[in-house]
Amino acid sequence: MPPSFFSSPRNTIKLHAGTFVLLALAVTLSGCAGTPGETALPRATPAAYPVDRLIGKWGVASYRQDKDKARTEAQARAQCKLPYVISKGPTDGVMMHVADDPTPHELTLKGGPGGKTYLGFEGPPGDEQDREILSMSDNMFVTRFVSPETNTRYGTFIYVRCGTARS
Amino acid sequence: MFSGFSSLSLGVLRSGAMCACLGAVVCCLGSAPAFSQAASESAMRETLDIGDEPGRVSTEEVVITDGPYRRQLVFFRTTDAPGTIEIHTAERFLYLVLGNNRALRYGIGVGREGFQWSGLVTVVRKAEWPDWTPPPEMIARQPYLPRFMAGGPGNPLGARAMYLGGTVYRIHGTNQPETIGQSVSSGCFRLANGDVVDLYSRANVGTKVIVRHAATL
Repeated sequence: MPPSFFSSPRNTIKLHAGTFVLLALAVTLSGCAGTPGETALPRATPAAYPVDRLIGKWGVASYRQDKDKARTEAQARAQCKLPYVISKGPTDGVMMHVADDPTPHELTLKGGPGGKTYLGFEGPPGDEQDREILSMSDNMFVTRFVSPETNTRYGTFIYVRCGTARS
Repeated sequence: MFSGFSSLSLGVLRSGAMCACLGAVVCCLGSAPAFSQAASESAMRETLDIGDEPGRVSTEEVVITDGPYRRQLVFFRTTDAPGTIEIHTAERFLYLVLGNNRALRYGIGVGREGFQWSGLVTVVRKAEWPDWTPPPEMIARQPYLPRFMAGGPGNPLGARAMYLGGTVYRIHGTNQPETIGQSVSSGCFRLANGDVVDLYSRANVGTKVIVRHAATL
């Protein structure tokens, strides 16, 4: 539905009326739904890596083409003069940013289908705001945004731990 | 039309020292900055203005198609040899001299107030899809950015860069083609990606670049 639809109060009323009808229909039909609990969203499973492995100071660089990967890793290592700092969150996650939002949020690692690991908000793995962890070791991890559009803009991120001590 | 002709000076109006003072705010590359002996280490890095938008995508096909900033053949009276690049900051035009009183004219974005300069320089290096390092000010504002971005369509330096020797400035592309014709940069000259690709194919290392800036009252 185009955004302009929402800009008209008259259309908003129509929307509300239409939404009501749909909701009523959904409630009516739900009693005869064949597979209650079935959902398109996968459930998070335990991640392959401990989330506190992310905590620390990291040099960060990004690339788009594989030919740039090696030198981007070297550049990430060189960026520790302006590190990206990941700290422990108030609950079980870590404080990091999602794309295009300067406010840090508590994110966590989530296991997903096919043995993949995602970094993002608590919830189903593979969300549009998530990042997929492509590889992770104690001193380096590589991520890409799940959203193809965001991934196109920013590329694949390489995080290289600064120093050896984990904060 | 070419009001900047009489105002050529072979020094910067706002020198590289300004660039150095502003550190990474400027769009600077440091290669033997004759203009800015005091250039700091931060000014030596490839950085851009804080108003830039890394991550926006502009392909190398994007050109200015309408209006005065469209790439076009123009009458251009000059004594400079064919192949010379003349940049008229006040007019937002870059001329590639063709000879016989003709030039190819490109629309450009230029340095904002206080970041415009003039001088005689040469192209010392060329790069396709150059890498980019956001300045610390931009990282502070957009902490989710990588500290280094390998060249590509989302890179604010765009599709091509021509490095101007002895300065921290470049002629480069942009992922913000709507800024062509405006004074928004920190002293670099930006063209739409398709236009900078065209210029890049015509200008070689060693090309003489004359930057003219007419002071306004």
